[in-house]
Amino acid sequence: MENAVGAVIPDNARIIRNLINGIQYVQDHVIHFYHLHALDWVDVVSALKADPMKTAGLAQSISDWPNSSPTYFKAVQGKVKALVESGQLGIFASGYWGHPEYKLPPEANLMAVAHYLEALDWQRDVIRMQALLGAKNPHPQTWLVGGMAIPVDPNSQNAINAGSIAFMNEVAKKSLDFVEKVYIPDLLAVASFYKEWAGIGAGVGNYLSYGEFQNDNVSNTTNTWLPAGFIRAKNLAKVEPVEHKKVTEDVAHAWYKYSDGDEKAKHPWDGETNPNYTGPKPPYEFLDTNKKYSWVKGIRYDGLSTEVGPLSRMLIAYASGHKRIKEVVTMVLQKLGVGPEALFSTLGRTAARGIETLVTAEMLPVWIGDLAAKIKAGDFRIHNPEKWEPSSWPKEAKGFGFHEAPRGALGHWVVIKDGKVANYQCVVPGGWNSSPKDAKGQRGPYEAALVGTPLKDPNKPLEILRTIHSFDPCMACAIHVVDAERDEIIKVRVT
Amino acid sequence: MAKIAIDPITRIEGHLRIEAQVDGGKVTEAWSSGTMWRGIENIVVGRDPRECWAFVSRI
Repeated sequence: MENAVGAVIPDNARIIRNLINGIQYVQDHVIHFYHLHALDWVDVVSALKADPMKTAGLAQSISDWPNSSPTYFKAVQGKVKALVESGQLGIFASGYWGHPEYKLPPEANLMAVAHYLEALDWQRDVIRMQALLGAKNPHPQTWLVGGMAIPVDPNSQNAINAGSIAFMNEVAKKSLDFVEKVYIPDLLAVASFYKEWAGIGAGVGNYLSYGEFQNDNVSNTTNTWLPAGFIRAKNLAKVEPVEHKKVTEDVAHAWYKYSDGDEKAKHPWDGETNPNYTGPKPPYEFLDTNKKYSWVKGIRYDGLSTEVGPLSRMLIAYASGHKRIKEVVTMVLQKLGVGPEALFSTLGRTAARGIETLVTAEMLPVWIGDLAAKIKAGDFRIHNPEKWEPSSWPKEAKGFGFHEAPRGALGHWVVIKDGKVANYQCVVPGGWNSSPKDAKGQRGPYEAALVGTPLKDPNKPLEILRTIHSFDPCMACAIHVVDAERDEIIKVRVT
Repeated sequence: MAKIAIDPITRIEGHLRIEAQVDGGKVTEAWSSGTMWRGIENIVVGRDPRECWAFVSRI
């Protein structure tokens, strides 16, 4: 909307948006690592066999995080034991515990389980920064065309004031502490047992980022703290500038109907969202994958299947010569004893998320300082009303709003006519990565990443989960439900 | 040779189904299927563009 009508936001609004997005990266990535992904690598039940004394030794050898005594780990082990003995695993139910592909020693499993539990408390505390600036989490409420709907006023109790700045600085410190002393050491420790995954799950090899953390008050893809760009066929020697007109949506294998035929992909400004389910009537055994087979459109950049997310952002930053990201990437590669080519993998995707969390957590105090300096200088402006009234808009306008969400490139395209929305298309990160095949038969990023993945036991497809979870799937960010009546999650047909 | 379907994939946000062809202990082909319809784009058509963010940020 701002892009369509040419709204310019004040500095404070830009900084607050960057802080809301920044703390979101840090919290969301930590939750992903511990609560959505770690159990693909960590065997919870094996933690019962750990020696708490040796676990303490391991924890102290990789970090000076204070919760590392034998008594502490013994207590955590007691909690897990009580769960397992109750026969109701609760949050740890439905795992492939005991799968031969779990490689961590019991002590590393116990340490990771302890940090899984600690991260639950930590994430609740740190996201309060977003709740303060956005009025709530999730789905912050303070966005406004032309700025933000949150007052900045050092003389008001109900506005961003010196107290809010002090609170945010505490949250930023707590964020960075956990990331430096728990997340990164755990990530490196776990990854060192799974280095073969640096050769699995590469995927399509094309990477896109719109850029994030705006330096200008008019959003653009040329002046952001995390750079925008496109990397073609893993070529780190060349980062191409982003042109949003190269984004298209293909429905050859998606349950939609285009008014002028399903063969030709459309740019989102000309996009259509006409549902057309042609799949089998549930319950069914398999989809007819020669025809349409997904509600996700085949999203392409310059006609190519393209990956988005932390790996794309870190590769683009690394290849663009971003100083701090180069340092951290190099440190991680050195500690794991692998080269940059290892980044094109399932392990690389998971490592990139950790690297991004660290560098973002480091920036939070800087952005809080920027906001404090504006307040100190007497600049409390938070909204620019110049483009608020529809009378200030052209009769017809088109906009491209973009942002790097934690999971990757997010673009919304709007067409405005006579003050109303005439067309709107959302092209979301989960859509890019989970794209089905297109009219040319190109695989989507998940599909391409899975081909070649070894699978020990088709009844327990742990390896598939590792690669899929490495992308941090967000299928339109809705609730997910396990059907208790139809508890069969895996279906295998031997042919 | 086996064809497998995992539905739903858990520990994610939303609904995802993966079908895979497995030959010789390796995945040889895969299909990713979003099994949930999202109609947010159609909800905002005809609305005041200033209020779109409140709808579309729910995705």
